[in-house]
Amino acid sequence: MEEIKAGGITFTLDLSKPLWEQVLHQIRGALARSDLQPGEKIPSLRDLAQQLKINPNTVMRAYQELERDGLTETRRGQGTFITSSQQKISEVRNLLAEDAVKAFVQEMRVLGLRKPEADNLLEEAKWE
Amino acid sequence: MMAVSLEGVTKTYGAQRALDSLTLGLSEGQVTGVLGPNGAGKSTLFKAIVGLVRPDKGNIKVLGSKPSWQVNQQVAYLSDQCRWYGSHTVRQAITYAAAVFPLFNTERAEKLVDFMNLDRQATVQTLSKGQEARLKLIICLARDVRLLLLDEPFSGIDLVSREKIIQGLIESFAERKQTIVISTHEIQQAESLFDQVIFIDLGQVVLSGDAETLRQEKGSVESIYRGLFQ
Repeated sequence: MEEIKAGGITFTLDLSKPLWEQVLHQIRGALARSDLQPGEKIPSLRDLAQQLKINPNTVMRAYQELERDGLTETRRGQGTFITSSQQKISEVRNLLAEDAVKAFVQEMRVLGLRKPEADNLLEEAKWE
Repeated sequence: MMAVSLEGVTKTYGAQRALDSLTLGLSEGQVTGVLGPNGAGKSTLFKAIVGLVRPDKGNIKVLGSKPSWQVNQQVAYLSDQCRWYGSHTVRQAITYAAAVFPLFNTERAEKLVDFMNLDRQATVQTLSKGQEARLKLIICLARDVRLLLLDEPFSGIDLVSREKIIQGLIESFAERKQTIVISTHEIQQAESLFDQVIFIDLGQVVLSGDAETLRQEKGSVESIYRGLFQ
């Protein structure tokens, strides 16, 4: 899979999964990691479709979802911008963190670990 | 809304059935990929839509009417075998196309010539296969028509030209919504362009659906193709 940088966001698209969801997740991720700043302009629909070499409808679906979640706003004739609301951005970060925790718990269960054992491992995990 | 619909269309050449009671619909304003092995009936399907092939049985509706030269004013068709006049320069080809094709938009053609990096002075016979393919695509994309039929626009074309053609298609589609139908064997490179996919074999539809839904349920369009035809 090829890495493509577009407007401060790094994309890697996997053709075996829905593309619009990947575009959406990767923009959310960039927001949560502060690769995108509040109020920053994101690529136009056409530019992003061009750079990712995907159907503009696919990008539109991701952009509509971002807008519906209040993470972006479109200003007439100026383009699409990341929300300036810190609260919205923290919400995304928390949601993504919750997803990561769910995935972690699932992995541990598959390995046959119980909560106390997993808690111990987490306690001992190195963060630096 | 369907831009094109076929119902029970059959076409035989001698003992061979190119289209076998084929029923399908091509959604308006979407990019549909028509995929299948050689001899599946893809080119015959395109020819039937523009009226170059008359079915033995069945019904075809193109933009609400039967295939005819009148409807074809709204159709740009890139055949798998079309060639351009060798002695024309790129510039002459555009001027000629503007004179003969209905709804030809010269301004768009000029923009696309720049976008796809073609030399206006070069004669067609000196162009590489890939450059000639770019020119033929420009002539189709420059028409302000409702339906665009592209039969094998990438076949036998170098990587750079293929990428240029894909970019040209995205550019054109972002500018205005046309119904675009593409047949190709270069599935991996083209599949991210498709809204809808139709897999055809032996003149019949084997599988069809929304590209993103198919990815969700079964994986990449390319892997589905392998699964169906291997």
